[in-house]
Amino acid sequence: MKRWINILGRGGTTLIAISLALLLVSLIPQIESSSGSGTDGIQPGEVKIMFSPGTITPQQEVHVSFTTEGTLSVYLLDIKVGLQIINGTFDYGFNSTDLQELLDNHPEQIKWEHEVVNTTYEQNYNPSKLMNATVVAYNQGTEMVMFDFDISLKSSLAPGDKVRTIAYFTAPIGVIMAIPWFLNVWKQRKHK
Amino acid sequence: MGKGKPFLEVLASAIHEDFRFPFLELFAFLYALGTFALANFTVGIYSQAGTNDAVAYSVTSSLIGGSLIIFIILVFKNVAYGLGSDLEKGIIQTYFSYPLKRRAILTAKLLSAIGVSLLLFLGIQISAFYILAPDIVLPQFGTIVLTYAANLSYPLFISAIMLLLTMKLRRGGIGLVIGIVLYVAMNIVSSLAFFVALATKSAIGLQIISVISPSYALQYYYGGLASVPEFSSVPWTPTLSETMLYVGGSYVIVAALFILGYVYFSRRLNL
Repeated sequence: MKRWINILGRGGTTLIAISLALLLVSLIPQIESSSGSGTDGIQPGEVKIMFSPGTITPQQEVHVSFTTEGTLSVYLLDIKVGLQIINGTFDYGFNSTDLQELLDNHPEQIKWEHEVVNTTYEQNYNPSKLMNATVVAYNQGTEMVMFDFDISLKSSLAPGDKVRTIAYFTAPIGVIMAIPWFLNVWKQRKHK
Repeated sequence: MGKGKPFLEVLASAIHEDFRFPFLELFAFLYALGTFALANFTVGIYSQAGTNDAVAYSVTSSLIGGSLIIFIILVFKNVAYGLGSDLEKGIIQTYFSYPLKRRAILTAKLLSAIGVSLLLFLGIQISAFYILAPDIVLPQFGTIVLTYAANLSYPLFISAIMLLLTMKLRRGGIGLVIGIVLYVAMNIVSSLAFFVALATKSAIGLQIISVISPSYALQYYYGGLASVPEFSSVPWTPTLSETMLYVGGSYVIVAALFILGYVYFSRRLNL
């Protein structure tokens, strides 16, 4: 019985140590790698590339905030787009036909989509592998839509929320496992 | 009484000695913290081939890189000081009074010294990697296992040499020093072999090193330093089967050294 208490107790203290490490990792603040913000308008049927930082890693997080006057569809896509010279101006060369083709044939490349209607919409996305992130706004309506946007890419050691949640679960389990062992050690010391 | 109970007694005693409070907790904390602090997914972006397994290899290597030294310190301490002090203080003679064969006693000691450390290291690292990037870990699990196998072979090789030295000299201090020297020496020798390979256009030195440290073969399989133009002309790109042969070969050497240790412990160790 005593041996089992020892094994459980040391397992518990190890879990506590791991959860402390996870908590410490989650407390380290994020660094803003790149960002874009402002006010813009989008014509009916038009697609705009709002943010395209290239390849992002599981240690990065895309934060998106849109406030619209009207209805606007916002997508985070796993596609690589580059600026090209089209008709004498720099353009991404990605239009509504390309978006529709992607929506129909490659739904796995849509990481999330949301329809923002006269409101503020905020979303964080943390990839689970390396991916090409591109934030796209699309006006499917018949009137021009004005919107404010604030998009940023933040880097951290680990996805804070995920790591913190694991720490919050493992620490109490560790404490429960370690209590009998701690009591045993305390009794032995008192006895001595 | 069966043989299981005395074996567990010896194993429990060895674990108790090797992982006194708070050693286990301290190393678990360092593994968890080190894994997140040293994980570098950016290397995956620049991995030469850009394929999924190349990305998995680059990221796994970055994870192992810093934490491996923590693992090596723990294993070296357990093998050299754990077994060394048991030999010096005569505790091993107490174990010999158990109704157990000598090889079972050594197995219990090694399970504690290396097995538990390895379990802790791999368990925490792979779980942390899974938390960070589940979509890399699951599809590329084979690549990740191969990367760990290649990187752990040389530390296990040194551990086997330290085990032999500790038993021969009956103390751990010298074995520990030689182990650390061997670990550092490999970095120097591999660097020299790399520049010799560049200068002579012959990779024989790198191939010899890869027999005991197959992580180099794996590194060259994934392109080595090909992204650095000055270093892109190393005349060696092993195939996957060759790389696996190097990994397998290195473990055959490690197993042979441990068997030698078992033979010495069972037949030649007179106390």
